[in-house]
Amino acid sequence: MAEGQRSCWTESHDGHVVLHLAGRWSLAGLRPLQADLQQAVQGAPAALDGAALQHIDTAAALLLLDTLAAAGADLAALPLRGFDARHERIVEVVRHRFAETAVAAPKPPLRWLGSLGKAASALGELLMGHVEFFGRTLFEIGRVIVKPRLLRVHELFAQLGQVGVTAIPVVALVTFLIGVVMAYMLGLQAEKYGANIFVVDGVALGMTREFSPLIVATIMAGRSGAAFTAQLGTMKLTEEIDAIRTLGLDAAQVLVVPRVLALVLTLPLLVFVGDVAGLLGSMMMANATLDITPQVFMNRLQVALAPRHYVIGLGKAPVFALFIAIIGCRMGLSVSRDTRSIGIHTTSTVVQGIVAVILLDAIFAVIFQELDL
Amino acid sequence: MSGGEVVIEAEGVVTRFGSQTVHDGLSLQVRRGELVALIGGSGSGKSVLLREILGLQRPTAGTVRLLGTDMWNAPDHELAATRKRFGMMFQEGALFSSLDVAGNVATPLREHTDTPEALLPRLVNLRLALAGLSADVGAKMPAQLSGGMKKRAALARALALEPEVLFLDEPTSGLDPITARAFDALLDFLNRDLGLTVLMVTHDLDTLLSIARRIVVLGRGTVLADGSAAEVMAVDDPWIKSYFASRHTVQHASDPGSPAPRDGA
Repeated sequence: MAEGQRSCWTESHDGHVVLHLAGRWSLAGLRPLQADLQQAVQGAPAALDGAALQHIDTAAALLLLDTLAAAGADLAALPLRGFDARHERIVEVVRHRFAETAVAAPKPPLRWLGSLGKAASALGELLMGHVEFFGRTLFEIGRVIVKPRLLRVHELFAQLGQVGVTAIPVVALVTFLIGVVMAYMLGLQAEKYGANIFVVDGVALGMTREFSPLIVATIMAGRSGAAFTAQLGTMKLTEEIDAIRTLGLDAAQVLVVPRVLALVLTLPLLVFVGDVAGLLGSMMMANATLDITPQVFMNRLQVALAPRHYVIGLGKAPVFALFIAIIGCRMGLSVSRDTRSIGIHTTSTVVQGIVAVILLDAIFAVIFQELDL
Repeated sequence: MSGGEVVIEAEGVVTRFGSQTVHDGLSLQVRRGELVALIGGSGSGKSVLLREILGLQRPTAGTVRLLGTDMWNAPDHELAATRKRFGMMFQEGALFSSLDVAGNVATPLREHTDTPEALLPRLVNLRLALAGLSADVGAKMPAQLSGGMKKRAALARALALEPEVLFLDEPTSGLDPITARAFDALLDFLNRDLGLTVLMVTHDLDTLLSIARRIVVLGRGTVLADGSAAEVMAVDDPWIKSYFASRHTVQHASDPGSPAPRDGA
């Protein structure tokens, strides 16, 4: 019985071609069904016969009707013969909705120039938004200074704890290790000239003026910037921010100002922690590999480290902090109402924060160069 | 309907969270082709029972069989095969937010079937049409959808693999009455015309009275009542009485005879 192997075949009854269906027509076997159909259907059949059908589901029925429509059959007028009532109902359900399943032509993807333009305008919009938010936040901070009663003291202290105190271990560890590496690398070079003691000069200047502020700011961009975005983004998603507004409170005063102030106040302190930890790391390394005892190290530090380097390092910190905090808060508040955008915005915050810190550091370097500091 | 094969079977299910007992030897059977609504007060363990049947949460004791598979003791390959045979619609939709609606519906088809690529968009549109959505919704992201459309999109995804059993967690919660009744009609159609077995958790009295052919009431850790709406309403239990009475309370409140605080002013 040749038909027994196949899921469909055609038979001619007085000039009318009838397509016979047999066996199990299901989603799991769409490929073999498609192959059988393509072989059997040569032109539009006049009727369908489902007497030998054991099972049919909507996906298989769709494949059948799709193939028949492509062969030029008039689906609406196609008679069904010998179908089990259940099978017929399923074919009818699909036939009834067949027109709705028509696939619209996909939108052509943007060419490279179009994508570039879109990306550029998105970047421009982002930066414009940042500028606007920056101004608004500075204005709000100004209001707090004029009217200190506006300050949410409780929230500020909560943020100081989260942003500052809990960051001390990681900041100290990282800068300590950087200090160790710096002393080691400088020591390798200085030893060649017997100039071991100048390692202290290099470490002191490099650590306090450049490395500690830069590294601590980078850590905080990843740690606090991302936290601000995730916190505010989730609050946006759960409509907490809308609730704050409808309760007549000012979201900027309640959420943004305490976060920005907390980071601006703590980053210089953390940079100080980084200075101390970095110098401590260098001191230990110098003692171990360069025969510079801690006493000698401290004496040389007194001479080598001019206060201005140290002050410049600390002075950069609040500026970094302002940018990190404002980017973090703005990205959090501009989260749209879906979970995916929290992830996208948080990633973006970290990238923007780090880029901003390095960019600002470069600008500072040029300015201080011109001022001969 | 009572002659059909048993597709969902919970036997002696006990569930405890710490000292709190949610199910205490609960047993339930659902046969092929039934449309069953699960009701019960808050904390009666409706959703927990659903999660236990689906294999998402392990009961403290007892067995759960879905389509003949013991969901907590079967080997992984048997579970994987069973998972392709039922669909679940979560309360908030649980659509994948990084994919558009068509991508959401296509995901199970791409992962588990060998659907010809040319037929896939059409099949996705058929699923959307069966769930009452037009094809152009496919290009939208889940965040752009209204609550009712989200539920329909979630239903379309649950229907993707031609499931034999469909589970729904509060399918009409948060929908306006018109949309909710349209959703009821949709479930009725899926049950009657496509022969799907449906088990849903619901609190919607209109759903219960219009389409649920069988109502199972959970309470005090067990099944309090089981049967048609009329049979369940006849059961002498204070919770069931007040549950069905709540409908009348609402009607009284809108009676012209009752005092309307605003109108007279």
